[in-house]
Amino acid sequence: MSLVDRAPVALSERSPDFLPARDVSFGGYLVCMGGIVWRESLRFVHQRGRFLSALVRPLVWLFIFAAGFRATLGVSIIPPYETYVLYEVYIAPGLIAMIQLFNGLQSSLSMVYDREVGAMRILLVSPYPRWFLLVSKLVAGVAVSLLQAYAFLAVAYFWDVQPDSLWGYLTVLPALILSGLMLGAMGLAMSSIFKQLENFASVMNFVIFPMFFASSALYPLWRIQQANVLLWHICSYNPFTHAVELIRFALYGQVEWTSLAVVSGFGAACLLAAIYAYDPSAGLTGRRGGPDAAK
Amino acid sequence: MSEIAAETRAPALRVSGVTHAFGAKKALDDVSLTAPSGAFTALLGLNGAGKTTLFSLITRLYENRSGAIAVLGHDVRQQPSRALSRLGVVFQSRTLDLELSVLQNLLYHAALHGIGRSEARRRSLAVLERVGLAARAKEKVRALSGGQMRRVEIARALLHGPGLLLLDEPTVGLDIGSRRAILDEVRRLIDDDGIGVLWATHLVDEIEAADRVVVLHKGRVLLEGRIDDLRARGGSEDVGTAFMAAVAETERPNTAAERKTDTAA
Amino acid sequence: MTTDAPPRRPSRTARLLSAGAAAAALLAFAGPASAEKIFVSNERDHTMSVIDGATLKVVETIKTGRRPRGITASPDGKLIYVCTSDDNRVEVYDSTTHKLVKTLPSGPDPELFVLHPSGNPLYIANEDDNMVTIVDVNTAQKLAEVPVGVEPEGMGISPDGKILVNTSETTSMAHFIDTATNQIVENVVVDSRPRVAEFRADNKQVWVSAEVGGTVSVIDPATHQILKKITFEIPGVTAEAIQPVGVKITKDGKTAFVALGPANRVAVVDTETFAVKKYLLVGQRVWQLAFSPDESRLYTTNGNSNDISIVDVASDKVTKSVTVGRSPWGAVAVP
Repeated sequence: MSLVDRAPVALSERSPDFLPARDVSFGGYLVCMGGIVWRESLRFVHQRGRFLSALVRPLVWLFIFAAGFRATLGVSIIPPYETYVLYEVYIAPGLIAMIQLFNGLQSSLSMVYDREVGAMRILLVSPYPRWFLLVSKLVAGVAVSLLQAYAFLAVAYFWDVQPDSLWGYLTVLPALILSGLMLGAMGLAMSSIFKQLENFASVMNFVIFPMFFASSALYPLWRIQQANVLLWHICSYNPFTHAVELIRFALYGQVEWTSLAVVSGFGAACLLAAIYAYDPSAGLTGRRGGPDAAK
Repeated sequence: MSEIAAETRAPALRVSGVTHAFGAKKALDDVSLTAPSGAFTALLGLNGAGKTTLFSLITRLYENRSGAIAVLGHDVRQQPSRALSRLGVVFQSRTLDLELSVLQNLLYHAALHGIGRSEARRRSLAVLERVGLAARAKEKVRALSGGQMRRVEIARALLHGPGLLLLDEPTVGLDIGSRRAILDEVRRLIDDDGIGVLWATHLVDEIEAADRVVVLHKGRVLLEGRIDDLRARGGSEDVGTAFMAAVAETERPNTAAERKTDTAA
Repeated sequence: MTTDAPPRRPSRTARLLSAGAAAAALLAFAGPASAEKIFVSNERDHTMSVIDGATLKVVETIKTGRRPRGITASPDGKLIYVCTSDDNRVEVYDSTTHKLVKTLPSGPDPELFVLHPSGNPLYIANEDDNMVTIVDVNTAQKLAEVPVGVEPEGMGISPDGKILVNTSETTSMAHFIDTATNQIVENVVVDSRPRVAEFRADNKQVWVSAEVGGTVSVIDPATHQILKKITFEIPGVTAEAIQPVGVKITKDGKTAFVALGPANRVAVVDTETFAVKKYLLVGQRVWQLAFSPDESRLYTTNGNSNDISIVDVASDKVTKSVTVGRSPWGAVAVP
């Protein structure tokens, strides 16, 4: 499956060290994606501050917020739980989704940042198709978010926040991948559409907080419905709610089909939007102010 | 075989009739130029002349909607993969990951071009050797000087064996010694590898007598030829004065367009 | 809201097969509790829920006398005894057919009772007339009445059957009664509103919960000295909500479970150090506790949320809650 001709270009007496890359083959695709994931993971590992804040943020919620509010949560058994759960157990899936939300938006911010400093340019001059590069970038972001999510789950385990069975740690993996893809794709789409995302405070105000609070992360939907029907409608349509519920059910070895459909559908839509936006011929990058404006 | 033959015949870069606008503002207006293989072509222009826009189109950050751009005969719109795999770029802004080591930066770039790990390592060390930085491979980029970072970026651009090397004002912010070293390095590449180089700059002293020069001003090509042509055009032996004179000419109405035709190389 | 299949009893063929090679696998899945049944008295519904131990579904709801509260089983598990407080009697049911077998006299307002370890007689606390009534379960005759403090409730009997402990809620005392003479040998003052008395299997400790006092007093039955007064503290739960009622101690004597009423928690307590190891979240207003016959599970009756919670004893985890009738009061599990 060669996209370019195989033979090297004999321009002159060039040294054998500088033969052009021979192939944009299937193996090459894997190498390319592997390289993008590898770089993202390396960056993540090097940025200890980022790892710590990614971990500390949900743990603060777990230890402090949940401890303060555990008594106020109405006692009721809702699926997938089979008995009463402590508030910290209830909010754990929401906090995992929050990790992924932050991570998705952070990598979207890094796209904006990358675009500024030019690392994005390096990515986009790869001979592989633009959609593939974006998907690889997405996969890399998901890989990093998985590291964070499992680190959080490990700490939570010792705080007695555990699924019914250890299998839950395995069954949650596909849900984490899907929700990570959705939130990452959302970040990608946003990074291509909004130019003003450099300011993280505004991202917090306009994206993370509304998505997080208007969801089932902190309160069960039935509780929200009792409090405010309009809010309940908003929460029910919030894709983040469905990411949370998908993770919640998967931790208990169950599938929440509606959430699965919403997460897959919204994720695919965001990814398509991002691919469109980054497509050099159809996209928005060429129409919006050009390189000088992007500086 | 015919493909290779075609590639060898084709210039490293051919831009023909490219116009590009951001909204109402025309960044490039009917730009045509050629950068042959085995030659140094200087793209001379003031800030805002359209050099960066042109580079963005060649590197396909966005697509040209008019005209054609071909790298070694491969149209960037029709055959983007082939065009991009023949292209090495050094962007104006720094594009290295400061947190990662020199080698890690190169390995990442190699992966983006589908070069497997062991081959990537071999190539990386070879290109670093060439730019004299092999000993710094394991160091973090942050520890390098500005000039060394540029040389790493050049090494990186060469990893996949491109036929065309684009450099967008690569010496900005460097001291005179580093500038000289980088220029020498690039000229050596042309001699050794027969690679085609398009070097965007606003510094006339980077241009040598044998170089080809393309003057871009306000999105239009004012001149494409040798440095002597620029001297003649500007009416001065000093290249800088000649360049400023040529640029000033366009400020007078109805002159740029007629001049353009008779200065083509 | 679970998606389990409706309860099915294995067919004869299936049971035969299971006796063969499949037995091990079956045991692994269903556990030894597969044939187990849990009986729960529903105070406000005047019924008794029967739950299948394997599927954890309510298989039958038996109409009982009015206000069923205390519930226990004969040592062989064949008979279920229920105090029907407002009918002033004890009803006896067949644990297989779920039919009423007979009724026993109890004195007025029987609340809680305890069977002699041999299975006879039955010691019943009469909440309204400050008596403990002793009844022969075979002849259905009252054998004796022992006057005790005001509002007697908790009933515990030593493993050898020689000492009976009754708690009187208003007097806040644990009365130690010699079962040979039916005389009180000692009164031990405990904290306010003692509800339950429970002996450790080695006869070295008797645990008395004080609902209003919020403590559990551990008393040495030989010296009648209080060895330890256990207090409870749950982050996020007010001290007033911590109201210890039901107490169960494992047969090995190592672990005690204490139901904490409106704290909605069951405390897991080490009987040697008296340290609370864990608080398990269960349904609302948990009062009484019951072990499964093999002690692999603990059942809790949650009066305000109308369900029972099931605790896995090995892992100290609450695995499930099952809705029963209104105001479940007591529970007993039989093989």
